[in-house]
Amino acid sequence: MDTCVMTEMFSTLYGQSEAQGPPGSSSLGFGPGKPPPPLPQNQAAMAGQLPPQLGDEGPALRKPGAMNEPFYLLRELPVGNELTGNTNLITHYNLEHAYNKFCGKKVKEKLSNFLPELPGMIDCPGTQDGSSLRSLIDKPPVCGNSFSPLTGALLTGFRLHTGPLPEQYRLMHIQPPKKKSKHKHKHHRPQDPLPQETPSDSDPKKKKKKRDDDPDRKKKKKDKKKKKNRHSPDHPGLAGSQPNSNSLR
Amino acid sequence: MAEKFDNLEEHLEKFIENIRQLGIIVSDFQPSSQTGLNQKLNFMISGLQDIEKCRQQLHEINVPLEVFEYIDQGRNPQLYTKECLERALARNEQVKGKIDTMTKFKSLLISELGKVFPEEMSRYKAIHGEDAPS
Repeated sequence: MDTCVMTEMFSTLYGQSEAQGPPGSSSLGFGPGKPPPPLPQNQAAMAGQLPPQLGDEGPALRKPGAMNEPFYLLRELPVGNELTGNTNLITHYNLEHAYNKFCGKKVKEKLSNFLPELPGMIDCPGTQDGSSLRSLIDKPPVCGNSFSPLTGALLTGFRLHTGPLPEQYRLMHIQPPKKKSKHKHKHHRPQDPLPQETPSDSDPKKKKKKRDDDPDRKKKKKDKKKKKNRHSPDHPGLAGSQPNSNSLR
Repeated sequence: MAEKFDNLEEHLEKFIENIRQLGIIVSDFQPSSQTGLNQKLNFMISGLQDIEKCRQQLHEINVPLEVFEYIDQGRNPQLYTKECLERALARNEQVKGKIDTMTKFKSLLISELGKVFPEEMSRYKAIHGEDAPS
């Protein structure tokens, strides 16, 4: 029955008057330059339905919106998107300034160039000293507790031995040698590490900072001066002082 | 938006400075430094409180995790921004190239098909118009 339907269809297409069983290849009429007559509507629908009966996988692959007239599987063209890769997206999203800033000039490699005022050796990988941000994500710290100031009793736990720190703990305030930057920052870093009774050592207006020519040198000079003064008999802080061996209570 | 960052930046700078001074006091501790040490410890706690308050203003800020890798390696995070922009531009150019090539191919195909199948192509153009959207 399938063969008869097919024969009938072909005969309609190529001008044979009767369907007489499966035609030979010579009668199919694929003559050059002879366009087939347009199919009537029901034949077009049958043509659409025929392949499934033959076990073809066509319909499963046919997308919606496919028309069969006047060309088989003619689809509607997709709606054009206004924003495509044809547009310069950097310009479209007003990122030229950012592009020139980051890609126009050389960006320095080290973290200390991005954060020049941060003390300590920050260019070393965080995994070496356990200060990586990744570890903060993998093992988040305990949050939610409130911060309360230390009372007198709690502060007794912070009584320290006098004297310098052992060598292995001295690295914290050592900074890598800094190059002179073009931007001048105002540093308000009090050079005197001795405690002061007045509150708030740091200047509230921290936005404008000036960088000294050699802050490390000045700091070292002051440290040396402090040490000299400490050993002199005229130093007020050492009136009647002997090295105390205060233990950590 | 920038104000929230400025506020946090200010608090962080004060906090870091306080810690640095604490480190200097501790590096060569003297008995007379005890009062200052206690003061710095309490400043540290109040600094943490201030930073905690800033947190609520910034809960909608998202930071890409790849930046953390740069920082953990001791590299400038601006390099991440630079690489993102460069990759975006390269990809943009690549897609533009594809679009241009496909457009040229389409016009060439239509012209060649028009030579071989003139009637069919005229019917096709009648359906989709002369300037079919690409």
